Amino acid sequence: MAGAIIENMSTRKLCIVGGILLVLQVIAFLVGGLIAPSPTTAVPYMSVKCIDVRKNHHKTKWLMPWGTNHCKKLRDFDEAVSRQIEANDIVFAVHIPLPSKEMSPWFQFMLFIMQLDIAFKMDNDLKENAEITLDVSLAYRDDMFDDWEEIAHAIEIRKLKCTFGSPKTVESEGRHYDCDFLPFMEIGSVAHKYYLINIRLPVNDRKGINVGIGEIKDIRLVGIHQNGGFTKVWFAMKTFLTPSILIIMVWYWRRITLMTRAPVLLEKVIFALGISMTFINIPVEWFSIGFDWTWMLLFGDIRQGIFYAMLLSFWIIFCGEHMMDQNERNRLSGYWKQVGPIAVGSFCLFVFDMCERGVQLKNPFYSIWTTEVGTELAMAFIIVAGICLCLYFLFLCFMVFQVFRNISGKQSSLPAMSKARRLHYEGLIFRFKFMMLITLACAAMTVIFFIVSQVTEGHWKWGDITIQVNSAFFTGIYGMWNLYVFALMFLYAPSHKNYGEDQSNGDLGVNSGEELQLTTTITHVDGPTEVYKLARKEAQE
Amino acid sequence: MSPEYSLRSLLLIILATFSANASNWLYLAKLSSVGSISEEETCEKLKGLIQRQVQMCKRNLEVMDSVRRGAQLAIEECQYQFRNRRWNCSTLDTLPVFGKVVTQGTREAAFVYAISSAGVAFAVTRACSSGELDKCGCDRTVQGGSPQGFQWSGCSDNIAYGVAFSQSFVDIRERSKGASSNRALMNLHNNEAGRKAILNNMRVECKCHGVSGSCEFKTCWKAMPPFRKVGNILKEKFDGATEVEQSEIGSTKVLVPKNSQFKPHTDEDLVYLDSSPDFCDHDLKNGVLGTSGRQCNKTSKAIDGCELMCCGRGFHTDEVEVVERCSCKFHWCCSVKCKPCHRVVEIHTCR
Repeated sequence: MAGAIIENMSTRKLCIVGGILLVLQVIAFLVGGLIAPSPTTAVPYMSVKCIDVRKNHHKTKWLMPWGTNHCKKLRDFDEAVSRQIEANDIVFAVHIPLPSKEMSPWFQFMLFIMQLDIAFKMDNDLKENAEITLDVSLAYRDDMFDDWEEIAHAIEIRKLKCTFGSPKTVESEGRHYDCDFLPFMEIGSVAHKYYLINIRLPVNDRKGINVGIGEIKDIRLVGIHQNGGFTKVWFAMKTFLTPSILIIMVWYWRRITLMTRAPVLLEKVIFALGISMTFINIPVEWFSIGFDWTWMLLFGDIRQGIFYAMLLSFWIIFCGEHMMDQNERNRLSGYWKQVGPIAVGSFCLFVFDMCERGVQLKNPFYSIWTTEVGTELAMAFIIVAGICLCLYFLFLCFMVFQVFRNISGKQSSLPAMSKARRLHYEGLIFRFKFMMLITLACAAMTVIFFIVSQVTEGHWKWGDITIQVNSAFFTGIYGMWNLYVFALMFLYAPSHKNYGEDQSNGDLGVNSGEELQLTTTITHVDGPTEVYKLARKEAQE
Repeated sequence: MSPEYSLRSLLLIILATFSANASNWLYLAKLSSVGSISEEETCEKLKGLIQRQVQMCKRNLEVMDSVRRGAQLAIEECQYQFRNRRWNCSTLDTLPVFGKVVTQGTREAAFVYAISSAGVAFAVTRACSSGELDKCGCDRTVQGGSPQGFQWSGCSDNIAYGVAFSQSFVDIRERSKGASSNRALMNLHNNEAGRKAILNNMRVECKCHGVSGSCEFKTCWKAMPPFRKVGNILKEKFDGATEVEQSEIGSTKVLVPKNSQFKPHTDEDLVYLDSSPDFCDHDLKNGVLGTSGRQCNKTSKAIDGCELMCCGRGFHTDEVEVVERCSCKFHWCCSVKCKPCHRVVEIHTCR
């Protein structure tokens, strides 16, 4: 891939391009920071304790916590004791959302976690490794006066992980245990306006179900969804970015096909990177507004996974192709050692994601983390993926180190080379260093912003202006990698200068005579094969 | 301002000054017989509310059940926290609910004011999350109509609504007096301290969610502490309460510690003006029940020990056979199957 645009561009033009990209980058941050609200919202729900007054509970009946048809409520369980109501007759009901509000497809997903308020009592202590069995069902309706339609029903077992801060004496009776929250439910689309959750905690002494779980005072749920405003800004951004990347991709591929030789590996990889970027960009999420596609969340994960895998592979291959040693690569199989870990790692994460979000398509209450085996399996996948990632970075660092060693070796011998060869190597070195610089800058920005968004509060205030840091992080980083791919395809496309001479100069490396007439065109020689030939010649000399 | 309006507000001020006690609204806790407060007429009949609270009641009918629940919570918690002390937060069936102790500027009054304003904030916030109230969260801090606001950026925390409601309902009497007397200043301070006990002890909880469960998205929310914890915090503040007096800085009146050696109190601390009586003797005129007939702990040297509790009057010891529940089988709710066990215990009661 000799003779990229970046080498032939004057510094002035390069600065202009850089400036434009920088401005776009700042805009990407500002769009998230100023226009969009925070990416997600958490809504706390307190479940209402309903009494199921019917004799047999076989037929499903939906109990509403409030509204016109609300159930018979219990204020607390002391009341239940005095009225002789049994545990099996109590249903915890949660209506989503709260009164006078509606859910919307713009929320994209709903995620619920469950918190149990368990009071300490001397004679009714929580058992070690207690497990709670939940009989949960979820229903929807789109009109306040419709009947509820069931979406899912499941019997789930969750482990209780609770600690008690005070000494277990009579004095501390009534204090609450400190319990980890439990994963409760996740659905990948919010196609309906109203949802209803009914939770029962059936007790069976003989089978030991829901025995020894202490004295439950309350069940609280926290619902997390994406903010509609953020979704709109996000969609707008995707819709704008898709054509930009698509256009540069077409332009880039046309450049390559215009050349007489077949495209080399690096060019193909850059093109593949463009494809995977476009794959992420294409705003298929627009369909989620009209259709109830719960698999969109999983699909989004897969798209992201493909892009990350592609980006990591690209870095390896870019380094390899600028190694400037005698080995000829130009084949994907030459990189199996480095690309292998990426493939294994992404495969692991894919399997893990399928086990979690894939199963959730069928049963939204499922979570891989709730069972012993599931947790171990999930951890195994994540650890293997982690090891692969470490391995990959070791390889990458080693390759970068090798390239720099070769560069310094070449730089010392540059003055002694013929002008043509010198220009060639200078081009290679410049290209590599430029790439290193922007990649490092992008990676550093990503890491810094990630840390900042994890550490700080959701928003910063400057006078009247509120900046949503988390949204700025998402739009900014997303915009940044788009610009990165854009810049790559633009700057590393083959230069069209002196196309006419390509033919005549094609066999340059073979001509052993000094290349006086080629002083400027040498850098535009098609393909790295020539570079390798040059390199080999040099080695022979 | 129309003359009618000014006349009315003057009347209100006079009314407010003559009504006995700002914590009278706690009498709501006693009104379990009324059923739910669902009509405007009920507001008029409620005992213990001042005129402006009645107006608030009419405007916010749906919240009144939570206010009552808050009052009950506050009294229950007060009685739990003070179960071992000479003054055990026992209530009377007449107004004022706690007797005169609370109308004076004592430590006990400070605690009652703080826990009751916290109770209202707590109960209203809770009612918000369970869907009992229509106008929580969204209306106050997020711009745009409520469905649009909710869809664009979600709603603010319910606690903001709970605290704001507590402020306007509980503080209303002090405010109508113009916040000038030192009692009003003390009450306002303690009301605020009660709400701060919730606000400053909110737990921030976060959940990571994103690609493959990574922390790409992190969503945090605030969870209220259990009310028992609020009670414990306020009890600690009660033990370390600061005695204050009024002082003028510029034209504004403020409360400063009586003993200038002490650290000035913060927003979260309780303050009081008068020292408390010893609560030993039965004095119905002041609403003090006395400790006669109270159970005490023979072995304890603390305030629940017979020595201190009985104010040196001595105590009876009776042997009583009690039926206790033993080898019980519990369910998580409601059902307890136990065997009765008989046991003889010594019970000490103050003379």
